Amino acid sequence: MSMNAIPWADALAALAAPPAAPPATDVQALLRRWHPDHQAGASVPLRVGASAGQACPPPLAALLHANTLIDDTDVAGCATVDTGLLVIGGGGAGCVAALTAAAAGVKVVLATKLGLGDSNTVMAEGGIQAAIGAEDSLQAHFDDTIKAGQRAGDPALVRALVTEGPAAIRWLIEQGMSFDREEQGGGAIRLRRKRAGGTSVPRILSTRDVTGLEMMRVLREAVLLHPNITVWNRSPVVELLSDGAGRCRGAVIYSLYLHRFVLVRAGAVVLATGGAGRLHLNDFPTSNHLGATADGLVLAYRLGARLREGDSFQYHPTGVGWPASLRGQLISEAARSLGAQMRNGHGERFIEELSARDVVAAAILREIGEGRGVERDGCLGVLLDTPGLERAKPGVLAGSLVSLLHLAHKSGTDPAREPMLVCPTLHYQNGGIVVQPDGSTDVPGLFCAGEVSGGIHGRNRLMGNALLELVVFGRRAGLAAASCDAARLGRANLDHVQDWRRALAAAGLPLEVRAPMLFPEVANFSMAADRALGRAPVLAAG
Amino acid sequence: MIEVEIDGRTATVPEGTTIILAAAEAGIALTANVGCMGQGVCGACRALVRREGSREVETALACETKVEQGMRVSFLDRYTLPQQQAYGTADLADGWTIYERMLAAFPNATHCRHCSGCDRACPKGIEVQKGVELAAQGELGAAAAVFELCVMCNLCSAACPESIAPNHLGLFARRAVAASGQRPTDLIRRLHEIEAGSMAVDTTPR
Amino acid sequence: MSAMTTTTNDVTSRVLTAPDSLVGASLAGWLAAGGGTGLRRALDDRAGIIGLIERAGLRGLGGAGFPTHRKWAAVAAEPGPEKVVICNGNEDEPGTFKDRVLLGRTPHQVIEGALIAALAVGARRVVMYVNPHLTEAIEAVGEAVRQWRAHALLAALETALGGPVLLELRPSSGRYIGGEETAVVASVEGGFPFPRRKPPYPAQSGVHGLPTLINNAETLANVPHILRHGAAWFRALGRGEAAGTKLFSLSGDVQRPGLYELPMGATLAELIFDCGGGMLMGREFKAVFTGGPSNTLLSRDDLDVALDFESVRARGSRLGTGAMIVVSEGTSIPRKVTEFVEFFAEGSCGQCPPCKTGTYQLATLLRRIDTGHATRADLEQVRQLCGLLPGSGRCGLIDGAITVVASSLERFGAEYERMLIGG
Repeated sequence: MSMNAIPWADALAALAAPPAAPPATDVQALLRRWHPDHQAGASVPLRVGASAGQACPPPLAALLHANTLIDDTDVAGCATVDTGLLVIGGGGAGCVAALTAAAAGVKVVLATKLGLGDSNTVMAEGGIQAAIGAEDSLQAHFDDTIKAGQRAGDPALVRALVTEGPAAIRWLIEQGMSFDREEQGGGAIRLRRKRAGGTSVPRILSTRDVTGLEMMRVLREAVLLHPNITVWNRSPVVELLSDGAGRCRGAVIYSLYLHRFVLVRAGAVVLATGGAGRLHLNDFPTSNHLGATADGLVLAYRLGARLREGDSFQYHPTGVGWPASLRGQLISEAARSLGAQMRNGHGERFIEELSARDVVAAAILREIGEGRGVERDGCLGVLLDTPGLERAKPGVLAGSLVSLLHLAHKSGTDPAREPMLVCPTLHYQNGGIVVQPDGSTDVPGLFCAGEVSGGIHGRNRLMGNALLELVVFGRRAGLAAASCDAARLGRANLDHVQDWRRALAAAGLPLEVRAPMLFPEVANFSMAADRALGRAPVLAAG
Repeated sequence: MIEVEIDGRTATVPEGTTIILAAAEAGIALTANVGCMGQGVCGACRALVRREGSREVETALACETKVEQGMRVSFLDRYTLPQQQAYGTADLADGWTIYERMLAAFPNATHCRHCSGCDRACPKGIEVQKGVELAAQGELGAAAAVFELCVMCNLCSAACPESIAPNHLGLFARRAVAASGQRPTDLIRRLHEIEAGSMAVDTTPR
Repeated sequence: MSAMTTTTNDVTSRVLTAPDSLVGASLAGWLAAGGGTGLRRALDDRAGIIGLIERAGLRGLGGAGFPTHRKWAAVAAEPGPEKVVICNGNEDEPGTFKDRVLLGRTPHQVIEGALIAALAVGARRVVMYVNPHLTEAIEAVGEAVRQWRAHALLAALETALGGPVLLELRPSSGRYIGGEETAVVASVEGGFPFPRRKPPYPAQSGVHGLPTLINNAETLANVPHILRHGAAWFRALGRGEAAGTKLFSLSGDVQRPGLYELPMGATLAELIFDCGGGMLMGREFKAVFTGGPSNTLLSRDDLDVALDFESVRARGSRLGTGAMIVVSEGTSIPRKVTEFVEFFAEGSCGQCPPCKTGTYQLATLLRRIDTGHATRADLEQVRQLCGLLPGSGRCGLIDGAITVVASSLERFGAEYERMLIGG
């Protein structure tokens, strides 16, 4: 980034003049020059595994190239639990998959690294897409999604996504999720819709700007109350189990309560472990929760599942730029969707605010890089003109942007009087594990749902398609996994680990690097230290 | 720099640091009571906070509270309800029976003794007690509105001496109102169109 | 506690539980045993009552040990005529069972004490506030009150006070917290027993804002005896500087648990070994949870302590209600403490989140330690909570809970350490 920037006070002064429309932009050139995915050194080819040769950011490649955390001796004699279905991940996708399988009568164990619901889903603000408007269509939703993804998405997956969008909304309402509504007279209601960046019609349904919170608390409660689901909190997965013939047969869980491994044998496994924001690719801050460390990607890949668009990440345009203590936290796209403009240090609009996220993020990085950014207390960014929005739509901040208001409050500012400094933040893994429309992967018995899977969003995700994806594909994966035969669980072992190590050695990769990461460095977690607690004898009192 | 004590350990951190990041700085393993790391929506980082020179001890979310010199902080585990209310999603569908179902699932809902402990415990400033009262009276819509920004941290459930489980009661109200009452005409028509086959998707590139 | 009503110690040192005091609900029996003399003397010299109580050195026997005459003087100094006297018989602390015996088996001396207090402070409403879980006590007090209402002595009191005296039984909520002074006030007012912050103290603003005197049942029971036999007699009952006698609720791993009345200042060893018959067969003395059980533990080094307010305080603990829960070697201190903290967590009224959630968190951590699932970090958090929580409640519940935890850590820290994973 260039060190030149316009001081905060000057930028505020420049804001007074009404801006001209943003200039036309060569989108492809903008992305190539400024998007972090395309910078020199942003990716390296994978050297081992089912997608060897594919491009991948170095920190993620290091995890995908890593040795296992455990081997046979670690799990010898450890407790074994049998279940119909093992769901790994306690965010939205995991909960939906668990609820769907449980409704089909399957006994489910849901293991999650943090607590149930402590996930990226609960942090989602903007909303969920579903083509329900009279002027909208499934086709329009399909076209918008494919186009925003730079035509890299899998049409079969996207068709499933958009086609089941309305049914997903109905299912959510049946679970008890509430959406913003418009009265139609006579007691009838329609759902209120907002427009997402990069889309042709308003299609975002939301609960103010706390949509993920509303969704997650409903799903979490439904899971907790379901008699067929057992939830294991603080139970990260450390390795998948196979039957020696390539079929996934369960997983090894590490219990942070017991400080011990637990073997779970299951008819099928649904991986819903989310993304990788905590890898802080290209040194960006992240909007992600503490647990987003690519664990699921690593384990599925190791067992033979392919990866796609593993080099494509979403940098949300409007992360908090100032104050430093809140850097990386998200200001919802809902702000721009409701009409907020962005300005550079000269007071100029520099991009159509409701362009696709990759385009807007690249444009912000361009403004900063070319010296038109704004500097406040050493933090760089551009301005989100919240005062202008409030002037144009009085009451909109308090009425529709409660999260934004709360965030501004924490930074000690009044967004109705002072613009917010924004800067892109690492937000979402566009690619992921290759899946079929039923959520199945290359590995029999292993399903993926949510951010861990790839192919829906191509190389750039639309606002609102992440929440939709986790519901549609959570249901699909849960249903398909529920039909796997759990009657004969059979062999479940770590034989694939030996093959993996041989492959690493053949590729000249070091065996000392271990993954999954489980917790980022900031969490001060040491598996070795924690396991030592589990081995120590406990003396009786007296 | 500011010195704080968290779960018995001392951290020295710059002014403006949140408690959760100060805990990381103090070397505490962040494997429980942690989640969104700052947005204040997952409700995992409950803590008791005592400021220097004060007798008051507050409940707060550690990711949203900044450290102060001499502050003492103790994280609170997620409170486990003594008995989980039992109801299923199917119980939410029929508006005529919802009130009954609520009273059956939350038999203590009408036992509020108005101690206001829930209001004081709520780190989000929700008028919990009012919400409980509205739900108990059957005003589920009004109760639902009260709990709109609840993050389910369970602090009010821990604080409630009558084991009402206020946040879960509030969530019941929210779920019941949505599941039994929200019938959007636009969604219904679109579902019909899809069912009738008039909403095909052409996947050929164009 | 089956033997709780058996008082087996030497009759000579017994006053409140002397055989001729144990007359049950019969007022005639009480009067025949010399009852009523105290009240008559009080009526003869109303102005001298508080001075007499002061000279006797009577102190609050519900746990605080606050000089009784000062409470009385404070209420007496308030402008009349509407004042209230409350006999606190809410007794709900684990291991305490003295008031149930007093109120169940000898209610008249308590009521007479309350009437004398009413005369001293100028109150025409006297409330017998009794825990309904003490069924024997509730029945006996109800009957005793009926008999007093019809008796000429009450009429004499009304004459002295210049108007009708309302003597009534008010069952409490039966909750532990209902014994706290301000909670007593709230309960007598008809509400839930929520404690409130002090000041104002009930002496200035109690029931419905009226000056209110609240004394424990045992405190009041001593009053007629002091009026009857004099201050010097009362002082001589105690050992050394201590005055009067004290009821001890002895329970736990002793041969003969029960209620014992000993001279104030008798030693812990006397109580446990002479009265209680020593430890159960094959058990070694380990510690005593005193009082509520919200006080500092006494350990082996404290067996010689004189059981009076000052001497126990000098060992860093408090006499409390006189409950002595004796535990032997082999009994897990962390387990007992966990049980007590769970009791406090349940009993916490809910008004103050740090009290309710703090006691729950403590109980969770202690339970984890007790079951062998805790790490050093958990113990560190227990220690930190012991420093963070005191003073954060409106009443003393949280402070009492912390005291028992902190003192057990101080005296039996090694036992906690041993139970940690990797201990």
